[in-house]
Amino acid sequence: MVGIERPNAADVEWSILDTGVGELGTVVCVHGNPTWGYLWKGFLETLSPEWRVIAVDQTGMGWSERSAPRTLETRVAELVAFCEQHTSGPLVLAAHDWGGPVALGAVASLDVQAVILGNTGVGLPERTPMPPLISTARRFVDLTCRRSSVFVSGTAAMTEKRHREALRAPYQSAERRVAVADFVADIPISEKDVSWNALQKSANTLSNLDVPLLLVWGGRDRVFHDRFLADLLQRAPHAAVHRFPQAAHLVPLDEPMAAIASTWLRNVLGPKPAVEQSARNSPSSDSFVPMTRGLLSRSNDDDAAFTDRNGAVSWKSLAHEATDIARMLVRAGLSVGDRVAMLVPPGSDLLAASFGVWLAGGVLVVADSGLGARGLRTVLRGANSKWVFGTSKTLTAAKALGWTPGARMICTSRFPHAVSLTTHRSSTSIDLPELRPEFEAAVVHTSGSTGPAKPVRYRHGALAAQRDVIVESFTMSAEQGFLTSFAPFILLGPALGVPCVLPDIDVTKPAELDFDRFARVIESSQVDVAWLSPASARRIVETANGRTIELRLVMLAGAPISTHLASSIALVTGADVRSPWGMTEAMPITDGVGATTSVVDGTNTGKPLAGAQVMVLSLDNSAPHSLPNGEWGELAVHAPWMFDGYDQQWGTEHHSEFIVKGQRFHRTGDLGLVDTNGDLHQLGRLQHALFMATRTVPSVLVEDPISTELGRLVAAVGIGPVGTQVIAVVVQTEGKLRLASAEVTAKVRQCSVFEIAAVLEGELPVDIRHQSKIKREVLAVTASEFLAGR
Amino acid sequence: MKVLVTGGSSLLGRTVANLLVARGEDVICFQRSASGSNAVDVFGDIRDRAELFAAADGVDAVVHLAALVAPKAPWVDMVAINVEGTRNALNAAVAGGRFVYISSPSVAFHDQASVGVGALTADYSGRDGYARSKALAENVVRSESSISTVILRPHLVWGPGDTQLIGRIVDRARSGKLVLPDGGRALVDTTYLDDAAAGLVAGLDHCVADDEATTRSLVITGGEPRPLRDLVSSILEAAGIERMPRSVPAPVASLLGSLIDRVWPGSEPPLTHFAARQLSVAHWFDQRETRRILGWEPTVGLDEGFARLRAAFAISGDSRHT
Repeated sequence: MVGIERPNAADVEWSILDTGVGELGTVVCVHGNPTWGYLWKGFLETLSPEWRVIAVDQTGMGWSERSAPRTLETRVAELVAFCEQHTSGPLVLAAHDWGGPVALGAVASLDVQAVILGNTGVGLPERTPMPPLISTARRFVDLTCRRSSVFVSGTAAMTEKRHREALRAPYQSAERRVAVADFVADIPISEKDVSWNALQKSANTLSNLDVPLLLVWGGRDRVFHDRFLADLLQRAPHAAVHRFPQAAHLVPLDEPMAAIASTWLRNVLGPKPAVEQSARNSPSSDSFVPMTRGLLSRSNDDDAAFTDRNGAVSWKSLAHEATDIARMLVRAGLSVGDRVAMLVPPGSDLLAASFGVWLAGGVLVVADSGLGARGLRTVLRGANSKWVFGTSKTLTAAKALGWTPGARMICTSRFPHAVSLTTHRSSTSIDLPELRPEFEAAVVHTSGSTGPAKPVRYRHGALAAQRDVIVESFTMSAEQGFLTSFAPFILLGPALGVPCVLPDIDVTKPAELDFDRFARVIESSQVDVAWLSPASARRIVETANGRTIELRLVMLAGAPISTHLASSIALVTGADVRSPWGMTEAMPITDGVGATTSVVDGTNTGKPLAGAQVMVLSLDNSAPHSLPNGEWGELAVHAPWMFDGYDQQWGTEHHSEFIVKGQRFHRTGDLGLVDTNGDLHQLGRLQHALFMATRTVPSVLVEDPISTELGRLVAAVGIGPVGTQVIAVVVQTEGKLRLASAEVTAKVRQCSVFEIAAVLEGELPVDIRHQSKIKREVLAVTASEFLAGR
Repeated sequence: MKVLVTGGSSLLGRTVANLLVARGEDVICFQRSASGSNAVDVFGDIRDRAELFAAADGVDAVVHLAALVAPKAPWVDMVAINVEGTRNALNAAVAGGRFVYISSPSVAFHDQASVGVGALTADYSGRDGYARSKALAENVVRSESSISTVILRPHLVWGPGDTQLIGRIVDRARSGKLVLPDGGRALVDTTYLDDAAAGLVAGLDHCVADDEATTRSLVITGGEPRPLRDLVSSILEAAGIERMPRSVPAPVASLLGSLIDRVWPGSEPPLTHFAARQLSVAHWFDQRETRRILGWEPTVGLDEGFARLRAAFAISGDSRHT
C-alpha cells in the first residue's frame, strides 16, 4: 500500500509504503541518503502481518514532496510528528545510514519500544578520519549529488542488480536530486555546522537509550565501517549485534536483516525473556582461579615450561616476561576488556604475549593462519580489536591488508608507531587488575571447516573451568609435559602449569608430524601425553615402520576418528588413546574412552565428563527433549566451560541456544547418539546428513560400511533438493571426479543397505586445519554438478 | 467400469489394458492395429472422430495414450494426432466424465538438468515437435473443466518387449554405434513398465471430481535415478552384450544432433539435438507429491526390472520378439 501523508500538518507531503494493520504494533523505517522506502523491502515483506510496517520517504527524498533544504533538527521534528499522527500502539523505529541520527533524535520525543539500526553513525569515532567517500561527496556536493547521478548510482551499485533500478527511480533528474545534495551538505563535521547540536542530541539519546537496541551491520561498508560500530557499542553497550562480515552498506537489502529483526523483536518484546544472564556461565568468584595462576605459581621454577624448534623457555622467564608485558600494556593504556588481536606466531613469544594480555585484563582475539588470508581478514576486522599484538612481519601485513584498522600496535620487536617490547621495560610500580570470572577472556574462531568461521567468545570463568576439567579428567601432571600438533593448544600448558612441547612443523600442516619428529620430541623432552590431530596421528602410524615410542596418553581431537586409526596409534605408543568429543564452543565434552573399541556407527567418543550434559535432539523442530538411547539426532551440550556466545552474531547465537531448567544448551550441529552403555557416538555434521524423501540419514552411517568393505576413504553426499535427495558415494582416488568403474560401483551398491544413485571416484576435499574433515558440502556441489551433466 | 484405452498397441498401452482387464474392468483398446492385449480391440484412427466416438460409446473413462512419437514427423501430423487427437479423445470422454491423459516430462524440458524437481509447467516451445505438441495437448486437457481430468507424465518407461528405448540401445550397441555424452554421467531416472502401468491405473482411480490428482500434472517415475552409463550397462548386460558404448563430449553430441536435425531426410534420424540434450543432462524428479496424491509406489524397481529383462532376453535372444 502506498500512501501520501502529511507528517507536519502545515508543510510537505510524504510518500510512504505501508503494510496496514499489525497486531504487535508499528515499525517505522527511516532510510538514509540517497535511498528511499524501497530499502526496507525485506521489512515490509517479512515483519508484516504481525507488525504494521511503514517505510517513509523523508522530505525531498524518494517520492516525497520536494522542498527547501531540511536540517537534521527539522527532519527529526517531521518524523516525530509523523509517528504521533499516524501510528498508535507499540512503536519500533528502524533506521539506516543518515536515517540513524534522524530516528535516534525522534526517540527522545516518542514512546519507542525498541530501536533497530543498520550501518549508521552519530558522529566520527575517535581517531578516525572522515571516510573519503563522504569528504569527496561534500567537497563536490553539487556536482556529485545533484548535477550528476554519481552519488545515487554509486550507492545503488552497492547492491544486487535487481534492486538498482528501483533505488535510482526517484532520483532521475537534477531537480529530483536537490535534497540528496542538501542532505550531504547538512552532515555536521564541526561545531560550526548548523546540525552539529542536533547530531549531539541524537548521540546522547543513544548513550541514554533504555530500550532494546539491535544493530545489524555490514562489515564491508566503506563509509559506516566497523569503527562506527565500535563507537555505537561504546555508547550503547547493551545493544544486540548481528554483523554480516561480507555485507556492504545496504545491509537491509542485501542480508536477511528483517528476519533477524523479527526474531529479535519477538525475543525482547515477547512474553518469553531472552536467555537470562543467569544462564550464562559465571562460576562463583570464591572458587575462581584464573588461567594465569598456573604460570605465576611456577614463577621461581627453572624447568622448561615450553619447548619448540627455538629451544626451551623456563617457567621463571616465561612468568617474568608475561608480567613485564602486562605492566607495559597497562602503562600504555590497555584497560580491562580491551581486545587484542594476536598476530604472534605460535611459540614462546605467543605464550608470553597472551599471558601478558590476560594479566593486564585484555581479551585475546585468536585467529590462526589455518583460516587463510581472506578468512583472517574477515575475522580480525569483525573482532573490533583496540590493539594488535604482532611481530614486525605480521604487523606490516596487518597494516598493508587492513586487518585491524585503528588498532594500536604492540610489537615483539621495534616497529614504527608501535608499543615495543624491546624498549618499554618493566616498572614494578604498576598494579595489574584482579581477574574475575565474568571478564571476557578470549575470542577464538571456529575452523571454518564446517561453514564460515564464527567468532566464539569466552569468559575467564569458563576457561578456568575448562582447565580444571582437563586436569581432573586426564590427570595432567606438573612434571610430565604434553606435546601438541594443534598450535592454539599450547596456551593450555602454562594455564595448567604443565610443560608443553610444540614439534617442528608448520601449524597448518599437521601431517608433517612423522614418526621421527614425533619420537625426537618425546625423547628429548619429558613428555608423556600427546594431543594430536588425526592427520598427525595418521602420518605417525604410516611412518612408524614397526618402531614404537612410549606414551601414557594420546588424545585425538577433531572427529571423525576411525577405530582403526585409534588402535594403530595405540600400537605405536602403547598409550591410552582417547577421542573426546568437543568443539570450539565447548571442549572437551566426553572422556574419549572407547576410541579403540570397534563400532559400526560413527566415532565412539566415550561418556560425558562430570559437569557436562549432552542432549540428543530430534530433527523435527519439536521442543527440545532428549531422544532415547540408540536413536540419533542433533547433539546439544551444556558445560560450565562452554563459550559465552557468538560475538556480534546475535542471530546465529539465538538459533544455536536454548534453555532447559535454567541451563543454557548449545546446539552443536553435530549428529550423534548415546548407546546402551551411555557412550556418545558422533555421526558427523547435521549439514552433511542425507535428506531423502522417506528418511534422513547421517552420511557417516552410509559411509562406514562401504569404507570398511573397500578399505578406502569414502564420502556420501546428498544430490538434489533437501527432502528428495538421492545418495552419491565418492571413493577417494587421486584425480578429477568421475564415474567409478563398474566393478567398484557394483561393490559399493552390494555392501550398502541404502539405495546408492551414483558411485564416483575422485579427490575428497579436506579442511586446512585438521586435514581430516571431509568438506562434504563442497563435494556435494561438485558431485551435483557432475551428475547434472552439461 | 468400462474403460477405453487409446494407443493400446504401444507397450505401455497394452500393459495398462491388461492390468485393467486383470482387475475385472471392461476394457476396449482403440488403435489402428492389433493391440496384443487381453482387451477388446476396436480399430480406428485417433483423428477420425466418428470412429473414436463409436468406440467410446458408453465408456466411463478414457485413458489416452495414442500419440505420434517420431522425432521428425511433419508438424501438421504432430498437431493432428497429438493435439487434435487428444481433443477428440477428450470430447469422447465427456459422456463418461473421466479422462486420463498420458503426457511426458519432456513438455517441461528447457535444455537444462531436471534435478529433483516436481512436474513443471508444460511450456516447452523448442524444436522438438513431439514435446511441443504434447505440451499443447496438455494445455488442451488442462483447460477442460466440465469433466474430471488427470494428467500423468511417465518418465522413460522400459521393460521386456520394449522396442523404443531398450530395442534401440541394444541394436546400436550391437553395431558399435552407441555413444554416451560425457560417458553417461547424467543422473537419469526411469520407470519400469509394470510400475508405470500401475501408476496409470492409480491415476484413473483418482480421476474423480475434487480429487487432488485432477488439479495438477504428475510425473510418474521409478525414483531410482542412476547415471545413464549404469542404466545402459545394465541393459546391455541383460541383453548379453559385452561391448560398452564409447563416450563423446556432451557438446559434440549436441552439435551432431543439430546437424542431423538439419540434413536428415527421414522421420527417424539416428540422433536429434533434443535427444542429445536429454541424454546429456540429468532428469530425475521429486516423487513425494505423486506418491502422496496417487497412493502409488513402484513395486518392481530397477534391480528386479533388470532381472526380468535378462530373463526375457534369455528366452528370446532379442527383446523385440518377446
